[in-house]
Amino acid sequence: MAPVRTKTPLLPALLSLVIPGAGQMYLGARMVAASIFGTAVVLAFLIWFTLENFRVGLVEWGTLKTSWLWLLFAVFWLWNVWDAYRRAHGRTTPRLVSFGIPILLIYIIAWQVTDVNLLRLVTRFSDVQIIFDALIHPDLLTRDTVVHQGMTTIWIPCSNPPQTVGPGGGSGLPVGIDKPCGTVGDTLVMAGQGFEPNTTGNLYWQEYGGTNEVQVRSGGAPVLVTTDAEGKFVVPFAIPAFAGRDGLDPNSPIVNGIEARFIREVGPLKPSENFGTLIGKIEIKPAPDWMTAFGIMPVGATLPAFEPGGIFVTIALGLMATLISIVVAAPLSFFGAHNIMARVRGGTVIYYIARAIFNVTRSIDTLIWAIILVTWTGLGAFTGLMALSIHSIAAVAKLYSEEVEHIDPGPVEATTAAGGNLLQNIRFAVIPQIVPSFLAYSLLRWDINMRSATVVGLVSAAGVGFYIFEAIRKGGYREYAAALWCIAVVVLIVDFLSAYWREQIFKNEAQASSAPPKAFYQTPRGIFYTVLFVAVFILSWNLAQIDLGKLFEPAPTFGKVLLDFVSVDTSPGVLDSVMRNLLVTIFQALLATTLGGVIALPFAFLAARNITGRTRAALPVYYAARFVLSFLRSIEAVLYVAIFVFWVGVGAFAGMLALSITTFGLIGKLFSEAVENIEEGPVEALTATGANRLQSIAFAIVPQIVPPFISYAIYQWDINIRLATIIGLAGGGGIGQLFQNYVGQLQYHKAGTVILAIVIVVTLMDFASAKIRERLV
Amino acid sequence: MLRVEHLTKVFPNGTVALKDVTFEVADGEFLAVIGLSGSGKSTLLRCINRLIEPTSGKIIWDGTDLTALSPSEMRRVRRKIGFVFQQFNLVRRSNVITNVLTGRLGYVNTAQSLLNAFSKEDNDRALNNLERLGLREKAYVRADSLSGGQQQRVGIARALMQEPKIILADEPVASLDPVLSHSILKYLEQLNREDGLTVLCSLHFLDLVHRYATSAIALKEGQLVFQGLPQEIDDAQFKAIYGQEAQRVSII
Ligand SMILES: Nc1ncnc2c1ncn2[C@@H]1O[C@H](COP(=O)(O)OP(=O)(O)O)[C@@H](O)[C@H]1O
Ligand SMILES: [Mg+2]
Repeated sequence: MAPVRTKTPLLPALLSLVIPGAGQMYLGARMVAASIFGTAVVLAFLIWFTLENFRVGLVEWGTLKTSWLWLLFAVFWLWNVWDAYRRAHGRTTPRLVSFGIPILLIYIIAWQVTDVNLLRLVTRFSDVQIIFDALIHPDLLTRDTVVHQGMTTIWIPCSNPPQTVGPGGGSGLPVGIDKPCGTVGDTLVMAGQGFEPNTTGNLYWQEYGGTNEVQVRSGGAPVLVTTDAEGKFVVPFAIPAFAGRDGLDPNSPIVNGIEARFIREVGPLKPSENFGTLIGKIEIKPAPDWMTAFGIMPVGATLPAFEPGGIFVTIALGLMATLISIVVAAPLSFFGAHNIMARVRGGTVIYYIARAIFNVTRSIDTLIWAIILVTWTGLGAFTGLMALSIHSIAAVAKLYSEEVEHIDPGPVEATTAAGGNLLQNIRFAVIPQIVPSFLAYSLLRWDINMRSATVVGLVSAAGVGFYIFEAIRKGGYREYAAALWCIAVVVLIVDFLSAYWREQIFKNEAQASSAPPKAFYQTPRGIFYTVLFVAVFILSWNLAQIDLGKLFEPAPTFGKVLLDFVSVDTSPGVLDSVMRNLLVTIFQALLATTLGGVIALPFAFLAARNITGRTRAALPVYYAARFVLSFLRSIEAVLYVAIFVFWVGVGAFAGMLALSITTFGLIGKLFSEAVENIEEGPVEALTATGANRLQSIAFAIVPQIVPPFISYAIYQWDINIRLATIIGLAGGGGIGQLFQNYVGQLQYHKAGTVILAIVIVVTLMDFASAKIRERLV
Repeated sequence: MLRVEHLTKVFPNGTVALKDVTFEVADGEFLAVIGLSGSGKSTLLRCINRLIEPTSGKIIWDGTDLTALSPSEMRRVRRKIGFVFQQFNLVRRSNVITNVLTGRLGYVNTAQSLLNAFSKEDNDRALNNLERLGLREKAYVRADSLSGGQQQRVGIARALMQEPKIILADEPVASLDPVLSHSILKYLEQLNREDGLTVLCSLHFLDLVHRYATSAIALKEGQLVFQGLPQEIDDAQFKAIYGQEAQRVSII
C-alpha cells in the first residue's frame, strides 16, 4: 500500500467525520465506503423510526426526548473516522467494532420491537403446562369409565348459634363429614365406606344442586382420597375459597356439596369422539346409489362406511392442488424459460412478464391468497384449494422454467437442423430432458402443499386447519394437541414418500429392450398410475366437496373488493402502519432465525450420522435428535402460535417464538446435513495426532461448517420473512395481523397496500439473500 | 453446387467469427474444413443451414440464396441438409429409434408428430438406416447407454432420415478415439462415394484430411487462408494455418 502513504491521514479522517465513508471513498476503498455510508443511513433511520413508533431506547431529559442508542451510533461514527485514519496508513481496524456495533444495535432494536419479554416465559410457565400436558395426552383414544362417588352436604357458613345438624341430602355411596357447618379455611374430615378397595380418587366442592364445582386442593396439589383394603377412607382437608363465592353471611347460610369421586377406566382403548371428527369414523349409512342401481344391494339397505375426518379433507386438498399445479404450470413454464422464448418473436418480453407474474404470485403466501379469495368464493374447501393451487402453480412454474433453461441445448440444435419447428423441437428435444426433474419437483411440491394445506383451513374454514381454529377458540387443548400429532404423522409420511419416490425417479431407468416399448399409457404400470391419479383426484374432489359453481357466483361486492385491493392506499397514515408492522415482521424473522439457529447448533451435531450415528451407544441419540427435528419441522409455524399466545400473550413475541420452533426444525436439518457433508480428511489427521473427539470437532469440523451454516442461516431468514408474514393471522403480530385487521374492517384498499409491501420486501429479501449466499460460497 | 459468398459473422458480443469468406463446393465433393480451434469452423457450418444467422454475405445452394429465405422456407430447405455434431446432440434419455426419427421432423405433420405418431414407413426407414450403420439391435435402448462411437452413428442415421443431399459434419470425430474416428469417417466416405452426397466436414487432424477429403479449405481467425486439394497443404501452408510452433502429428 505504498502510494496510499503519500496521502495525509488527517484529510480522510476529517472527511469521514463529516460524512461517514467519505474518507474511505477518498482513499479509493469504494465498496467499504458504500457499506459504511449505507449502514449509517440504515442505522440512523432505524433508531429514529423505532424511537418515534416503538419508544425504543427512550430517555427523557426535561422536555428533550431521545434515544440512548444514538450513543452507540456515535461510537460507530467515531470508528469510521478512526478507520479512515488508519486506512490512510495502510492499516485496518478490528472487525469486532465495524460489524459488532451495527449488529448490536440491530439486535437491541429487534428485541424491543418484537416485544421480547423473557420474564413472561418464566412467570407464565405453569399456565402453559396445560398445553404440554395436552400434548402428551392428545384427545384421540379413550376408555369407558366407571364412576363411584359419594356426596354429602354442609352449611356455609355457620349461623349464630351454629347449626347442630347438617343440611341433609347427598347421593351415592355413604360418606360423611365431621361438622355440620364451617367457613372458608376450616379443616374438615371426610369418611366413607363401601368403595372399591385400594383405589385413589379426588374431592370436589360443589354448588349444591348446580353444576359448578372445583377440585379440592392442598398447597396447589389435588387432595387425594385413598381407600383401604376394606374400601373405607378418611381424609382431612380445608374448605376451599370457592365455598365463599356468594359471600359468607351467618344469617343466610348456603348448602354446599362435597363429593368423593373415584373414576376407573375399564375395557379396551377405543377412538374418542374427537378421533372421529379429526381422522374419521365408521358409520352405518344407506348403500350408495350405484350399488342399488346395479342390484348389488337391495334398495334401502345399509352398509358400514368410513366417514373421513378433517385430516382427510386436508390430504385431499394437498393432492388436488399438486395435480392442478403440475398440469397448469408445465405448459406455463415454457413462457418463463429464456432459452425457449428467445426463439419466438417478442418472446423476451413474454419471458419477463411470465417471470414477474410467477415471482409476485409466489411471494404472497397461500394463507394470504386464501383471505383474498374468500371475498370471491366464500368460506370453504374450494377457496382453500384455489389458494393452494395459485401459490403452487407460480412456485412450480418458476422451478420448471429454471429446469427448462438448464437443458442441454445440443438436441434442440439437432432437431432444428433437421427442419423441426418450435413445437416439434420442444416435444422431441426439450420435454424428454425435463421429465425426471419435473417429476422430482412435483413430488417435492406435494410435500410442501401438504404442509400448506394444514394451515389454509385457518382462514378458509376447511380441513384440519379449521378444526384447529375451532379447537383453539374453544380452549380445547387436547383436541389441538391431537391435531398436531395427526398432522405430524401425515406430513412425515408424505415427506418420506416424496423423498423415496424422488430417489427412485433417477434410479430405475436405462433398461435394454429389443422390442419397441409401448407408450406409457399402454403399459400396465402406466394404466395403473393413470387410473390411480384419476381416481385419487375424483375421490379428493368429492371428499372436499368442491363446488366449481362458486367461481361464477361471487358475492355481489366482489368487483368492488377487487378494485379496492388494486387501488392501493398510499396515504401517510397507512404507509406508516405498514412500515411499522413490516419492521416487526422483519425483526421477528431475524430473532427467530437467531434463536432457532442457536438452539439448533448443538442439535446439528447430535443429528449427524457421522458424529452420533457411529457407535451403538450413541445411535439412540442420533435417532431421537432426528425425530425431534422432523416432528417440529412438520408443523407449520402458524399452528404453533396458539401455544405461545397462551403462554406469553397475543403479539409479536408469541409469533417470534412460534417461528423459532419451526426454524429450529428446518435449520437443524440443514445444519446436520452440513455436518454430514464435511470432509473426513482433517478429522482423520487430527485423530492421528492424538486429539480427542471434542478437539477434533473444534479444530477440524467447525472451520468446515461455518460458511455453510452462515449461508443456511441467511437462507432461513429469507424463508422466515415469508413465514412471518402470516404468523400474525393467528395472533402472532406483525404485518399479517395488520392485514387481517384491514380485511376484517373491510378496508381492502389498505389491505392492498399491505400485499404490495409484502411483495416488495419478500422479493428484495429473496434477491439479497441469493446474492449474499453467492458471495459466501 | 454450394457457393458461399463474402460470408461474415459478427456475434452480438463483437467477436468477428467469420470475415468475408468465399468458396465453392461442387456436388459430390468431400470438403474438409480445417483450422485451429476458434478459427470459425463451427460458425461457418452453422451459418450454412442458418442455425446461426450470418451477419452478411450469401449462401447460394442450387441457385437459391439461403440467406434470403423466410424461417418457414428455411425449415423446408434444412430437410435436405443433414448435420452431424461433435457432441452427437442426442436426447440421452430417449431411445435410439426416437432419436433417429427426429430426423424426420421436417417432413411430418406437426400435430401427428407431437403425438409421437410416426408412419410405418418412417419407422421402417429408421430401422433400415440403423441397420446400415450396424445398430439395428440397439434400436430400443436408451441413447445414453451407447458408447461414443455408437452415439455418433445414431447421429448419422438421424441425418440420413432427412434424405439429405448434403451433410455438414462439425468435427464429428473430435470426441472419439482414433480407431472409432476412422470407422465414423468411413461411413461418411461411403455416403459420399456410394450415395453421391456432398460432405462438408471440419477436421482437426491433417492426415484424416489427406485420407478422406477430396478438397479442403482452411480458416484462420475467421478468414479463408487456403482452398485447394488436400495434397497441396505443404509444410509452409501448414505453418500458415496452424502457426509457427505447430507440429504435424499423425493419427494411426
Ligand atoms: N455464440 C457465440 N457468441 C460469441 N462468440 C462466439 C459464439 N460462438 C463462437 N464464438 C466465437 O467465435 C469464434 C469462432 O468460434 P467457432 O466457430 O466455434 O470456432 P471453431 O469451431 O473453429 O473452434 C471463437 O472466437 C468463439 O469464441
Ligand atoms: Mg468448433
